[in-house]
Amino acid sequence: MSKITFTINEQVLEVEDGTSVLEAALQNDIYIPHLCYHPELESRGACRLCVVEIDGRLVTACRTPVESGMVVRTNTPEVDQAVRPVVELLIANHHITCRGCPSSGNCQLQNLMAKLRIDRRRVRRLRVPEEELPLDTSPPCFDYDPNKCVLCGICIQTCEKIHGTSSLYFLNRGTDTRVAFYGDEARCASCLKCIERCPVGVLLPKQTGSTD
Amino acid sequence: MSDNLRTIIVCQGTGCVSGGAEQVYSLLQEEISRLNLSASVELKSTGCHGFCQRGPLVVVEPDGIFYSKVVPEDIPDIAQSFLPDGRPVERLFYFDTAINRPLTCYHDIPFYYKQQRLVLRNCGHINPESIDDYLDSGGYQTVRTALFDMSPEQIIEEVKRSGLRGLGGAGFPTGQKLEACYVEESDQKYVICNADEGDPGAFQDRSVLEGDPHAVIEGMIIAGYAVGADRGYVYVRAEYPLAVKRLKIAITQARERGFLGKGIFGSNFDFDVEIFQGAGAFVCGESTALVLSIEGKRGLPKPSPRPRTTMSGLWGKPTLLNNVKTFANIPLIIEHGSTWFASRGTENSKGTAIFSLTGNVVNSGLVEVAMGTRLREIIYDIGGGVPDGRAFKAVQTGGPSGGCLPAELLNLPVDFDSLTKAGSMMGSGGMVVMNQDTCMVDVARYFLDFTRRESCGQCIPCRVGTKQMYDILDDICRKQGRPGDIELLEELGQSIAKTSLCALGQSAPNPVLTTIRYFRDEYEAHIREGYCPAGVCLAYQ
Repeated sequence: MSKITFTINEQVLEVEDGTSVLEAALQNDIYIPHLCYHPELESRGACRLCVVEIDGRLVTACRTPVESGMVVRTNTPEVDQAVRPVVELLIANHHITCRGCPSSGNCQLQNLMAKLRIDRRRVRRLRVPEEELPLDTSPPCFDYDPNKCVLCGICIQTCEKIHGTSSLYFLNRGTDTRVAFYGDEARCASCLKCIERCPVGVLLPKQTGSTD
Repeated sequence: MSDNLRTIIVCQGTGCVSGGAEQVYSLLQEEISRLNLSASVELKSTGCHGFCQRGPLVVVEPDGIFYSKVVPEDIPDIAQSFLPDGRPVERLFYFDTAINRPLTCYHDIPFYYKQQRLVLRNCGHINPESIDDYLDSGGYQTVRTALFDMSPEQIIEEVKRSGLRGLGGAGFPTGQKLEACYVEESDQKYVICNADEGDPGAFQDRSVLEGDPHAVIEGMIIAGYAVGADRGYVYVRAEYPLAVKRLKIAITQARERGFLGKGIFGSNFDFDVEIFQGAGAFVCGESTALVLSIEGKRGLPKPSPRPRTTMSGLWGKPTLLNNVKTFANIPLIIEHGSTWFASRGTENSKGTAIFSLTGNVVNSGLVEVAMGTRLREIIYDIGGGVPDGRAFKAVQTGGPSGGCLPAELLNLPVDFDSLTKAGSMMGSGGMVVMNQDTCMVDVARYFLDFTRRESCGQCIPCRVGTKQMYDILDDICRKQGRPGDIELLEELGQSIAKTSLCALGQSAPNPVLTTIRYFRDEYEAHIREGYCPAGVCLAYQ
């Protein structure tokens, strides 16, 4: 494969042709916020957090292939003003009680907050959802916490990639959107890859050994 | 043709039908036969005549006598007027309050004569369920012209030169889109007509389909020939049953006459059209979501960068997707030529624009004007201004994601670029007038309530952001606003506009950003001074 040279924040990088701007940055230890990206899956561009500036335009790094001579900026005020509120919105909407969360310490959102130095005072300006939705225990392979789900779609895409068709898909629209298990329980191969890849721990392993 | 001397036209658009026009029609029919007038009077039902505010409408041609707000009790008098010594029914004339006298003919009513009805030329004049009526008005002749006298390249060139831009809202040059689809090499191409008109208060696409469905089909056939497609779909909302019904009739009739199907007009060009009914999601009006919806998938807009629909659209094939009004313009361009078409409008927006004029306006209805007409002319000269002696406060153009423009901008010319510059947009053609009793915070809340419900839920800024903006606006309306909320709304609005995945999310903050830009004092009155200037928000009373 041929190599391509481009610039990111004044740093000249050489990557393989066909690499996305996000992958190129991550390979070279340059952090660009992201939640819905997974190296083995096609980029959906759904979380909108990997916005960078190229030629004065804001584009998602995950869906933009690197081009020779391209000049990418990840740290301009324009990028920050676009992305920071989205992260803050997500945190305010996420029922941010990390205490007791099984993913705490291994959570992409926590990681994102630390990397972006999210200021809690700014988040507190936002309204938080009053309603706490119940855990969905109907899927055969996991229990689902709709309050914390960021709807990245990684679980859906993972299931599809491994099993040909996905047992999981989105349900409803707008703020009521959530991930739901569709169809045949017997079709779920219980590979549990969906749980493993969830960036924020909303897919909880079934408590099979529970005594009560 | 019959020897009838008079034609009584009863508008059967959705507005008039909901006012009882079907009964008006059947009673007139009975009365005419009872008075033995059938030899001298022909009764005809048409699509929307445009002046929905005054419906049910009855028009007598060729005189152009215009009766408004017709009720069953008026029928005997209208029928009597066709007797040899009969006289027109004066009490049903439109009363022009500006000059304080009744007007007999619709040509004299400012609502009509200040318009330029090109796309709407047949609406309210022909029977949309009769292909013969359409043929009598010159229908399907441009298909013949296109197939036998023009090459696809010539059609594309003509449309390009006309300057026609997509009338679904985005304003993309139509000729350029035709060309982009034409140059693709493929064994199969498609033409899709987007009739998923989801904006609250907008009914222009519906009216065109209800009033002149053949014109849309004609435009699609020519477009299909130009790009090399043999199949077309009309994606129309299931909530438009009358439009669906008339379109079905039109398609059947066009097939029977050989305007659709194999070897149109004996040429070697095949083209057919099917209807696909949408299930009521606003987002399915977005082109990539619409395509997925026809494929039977969830209607999620595709993120950019992505191949254009003209390259990879329906089932991955090159697809030409345009709005109802864009297709309806194509026969006009073929018939009269690009120079004629481009003689109307502004430098960068050619032809006409159709608006659904609603809200606090004397004459609500369907309005077609040349691009570049000033807001003031539409709202005051055609719309008759704000009723009940109230003052004008704002006009919202472009549907739920459009902006609210204040009185200072009434001289703004209505075209793609001017509206965008002012923070609003052309959209698909909604125009809602608001009077002094309107609370602009409440209005912004109303529109955000719509967009947050209709967000597809795919991307975070639109899904979570529109909900957050709605919650803040709701707090302000409920006297729970906090200092800093205005700045917060601006910050969120700009971020959502820049980061959202599709145009719907990107434009969703417009009502909030424009009401803050032009009516900031109202927000401040709520939050700082503790009152709602319009007296709308109950928490402040």
